[in-house]
Amino acid sequence: MKILLMGHPNVGKSVFFNRLTGANVTESNYPGTTVDYTKGWMKIEGEDVEIVDVPGTFSLNPKDRAEEVAVAMLHENKDAKVISVIDASKIERGLYLAMEIIEEGYPLVIALNMRDVAEDKNIVIDAGRLERILGIPVVSTVAIAGEGIKELIYRIKDAKPVNVADIIANAANASNTESAADAGGAA
Amino acid sequence: MKLSTGDRWDLIDKISKETVTFGAYKHTLKDAIGELTVKPMTGIPVAIAIMYGFWSVFGSFAGFFTDGFFVRLFDAYWLPWLQEIFPGQGGWLYAIMVDAGGIESGEFVLSSNCLESFGVLTSGLFVAVGVVLPAIIIFYLMLALLEDIGYMPRLAVLLDTVLHRVGLHGYAIVPTVLSLGCNVPGVAATRILETKKQRFIMMTLLAIFIPCGAQIGIMQDLMPNLMGWILLYLIIGYFIFGYILNKIVPGKAPEFLIDVPPYRRPLLSNIGKKVGGRVRGFFVVAIPFVLLGCAIVGVLYQLGVIQFLGDALAPVFVGWFGVPKETAGPLIAAFLRKDLAVAQLDAISDLMTPYQMITAVVLVSIYFPCVATFAMMLKEGWKELLGALAVLTVVVFAYGGLIHLIGILLGVA
Amino acid sequence: MAGQSPGGTIYFAVLGIITTAFGLADLLVTASGSEFAYAGILVIPGDIFRGGWGGIIVLFAGLFYLSGIRNFDDIHQFAKVAMGSILIWVVAGCDIFAIILESIPSWNEETGPWFNTLPDFIAAYAPPYAPAVLLLPFSLVVIYYIRKRASEDGGAGIYHERNG
Repeated sequence: MKILLMGHPNVGKSVFFNRLTGANVTESNYPGTTVDYTKGWMKIEGEDVEIVDVPGTFSLNPKDRAEEVAVAMLHENKDAKVISVIDASKIERGLYLAMEIIEEGYPLVIALNMRDVAEDKNIVIDAGRLERILGIPVVSTVAIAGEGIKELIYRIKDAKPVNVADIIANAANASNTESAADAGGAA
Repeated sequence: MKLSTGDRWDLIDKISKETVTFGAYKHTLKDAIGELTVKPMTGIPVAIAIMYGFWSVFGSFAGFFTDGFFVRLFDAYWLPWLQEIFPGQGGWLYAIMVDAGGIESGEFVLSSNCLESFGVLTSGLFVAVGVVLPAIIIFYLMLALLEDIGYMPRLAVLLDTVLHRVGLHGYAIVPTVLSLGCNVPGVAATRILETKKQRFIMMTLLAIFIPCGAQIGIMQDLMPNLMGWILLYLIIGYFIFGYILNKIVPGKAPEFLIDVPPYRRPLLSNIGKKVGGRVRGFFVVAIPFVLLGCAIVGVLYQLGVIQFLGDALAPVFVGWFGVPKETAGPLIAAFLRKDLAVAQLDAISDLMTPYQMITAVVLVSIYFPCVATFAMMLKEGWKELLGALAVLTVVVFAYGGLIHLIGILLGVA
Repeated sequence: MAGQSPGGTIYFAVLGIITTAFGLADLLVTASGSEFAYAGILVIPGDIFRGGWGGIIVLFAGLFYLSGIRNFDDIHQFAKVAMGSILIWVVAGCDIFAIILESIPSWNEETGPWFNTLPDFIAAYAPPYAPAVLLLPFSLVVIYYIRKRASEDGGAGIYHERNG
């Protein structure tokens, strides 16, 4: 199995990569630290899994060479699962990229990273509800401190492709009645 | 099923309305300080203070190890010991490995310090371990701190206006600052620039004008009084040629937005890993190159090649650049390691006026990227590399001549 | 919110004036080219780096204090005061770091011990001190106000701890 770490620049993909694989790629606090991909291995429930640290990208329409590397990486690995790393304090932008990847049919897990920063900004996210609407696992994390990493690994197996139509339906349901937001149709 | 951009945003809007509540956003002190470091009126003093701190700690730390311990260790113990025990004094192997010595009133005399000896085991080791190693350890440590705290993107925003005047984007400061550590990661970092044009200009400017940490370290130790002028010439060149390249290189240089991350308390473990990795890289790549460079220059001296080149190119050196022909040797060493070249220039400082020394060090800096940078640029594309080399040739002659001319006009050359 | 910390306002106004004066003194002494010592406590360095650039930063620190004291309780104004202290910490920290490293080796070139003698080592820490070092203890008062703010704001601030 292969897992791609994807998300905007400077959301902590390299931090996840190092925590997951025990590798040693450069982590810095500026966008564009990673300009090329790095591969590493980890074991999930006895299975060898290849993890790829992909350069940050804002969308699937690449704007620079680092983004080209990222998008090419995604398209070359049609059978990969994706961990979509999202800066919890800028969730909407992050969801945009996640939606693009979902629409291309990749199974996805969302890591809502930098929860601490979101808390600083008084942003509260109902991760459970987000999970029900999207139909994919959503885990809130603080990668730098190692929080939420275990749960993320545990939930990777739940990643599955979802139909955008289901998400639209779930979102509409959720806004009509609070309680109607269940798991939605099977994709 | 794929959505259009508009539909996708509508959907995300709906989802976020259901799941996200934005509380009243109260500015924290961290935010307020973050803003102060970005606004020009307050940000420029902060930037000056950060540079001051960087420089002061760098100088203290490097001076502590180099002048406090290594100079004595190498000059008073290591050099005399090797001169004593290494066989074949006066022979070619002795000259290359230990001490090329000098001729005084017709007699062979041994050198009195590790800089003048030009030997692989003496000069080479002294430059690599005694001078450059302490300098880059502290340099990388401070660079890692700036990276992890989150200051770099703020510097980019702060300098955006200034850099735009010369056609560069504010973000150009990030590869530039990284290049001050080592040009190789600096060149790699240019990948975040959007267009080929921007990347080419940036890569070329870095390779030509930005001295690496190793070179800065050795300049700080050997010629602290001249270094300010050398750096000033390099910075001015960076802006002049950035401006010219932006005008003549075809292509676009679009705006792009910088995301400014919040300040973070750096994690000691991450800093340690980063510095450790970079220092390890120095041992594996740089030290062998310093020793190799020393050996090659030693062999070329023994074969008379450097004297020959010096004589053949004397009109260029003396006439155009205004430096003595003996700079031929250091310029060859500069292809392998710039730090070694500066050390070798310092060893022949008796032959030069201070202004000639400034010119010579600027030439060493701009004339050719070191092998490692060269290899990195080749990886980015051979067309870019050839273009950069063409620019470089023009720059060396134009700028080198200009510096000479300024010297003549000031009456110091 | 104005007027909640009149003590702080007055304190940093005075400190700001003194800091600004020290910064100007640094620059004047550097311009004169020789160092200036007073009463065995204060020495103003005359070199371009410590006196000149260091002096400019001390001057900025003073100006940060003075521009931050009006409406001191506003977070953006208070940040300027905090920044004034941070600038002093940078200059003083660098001075102290240099003193520490200079006090350890013997600086002998050829023979003799490698390390400094104990009396000389201790003597290296005796006054006189540079202006930024003298200002350092007074600038630390800002920490009290940062903590006070942090406790009032329920944890937000520069000393913010991540909670699980």
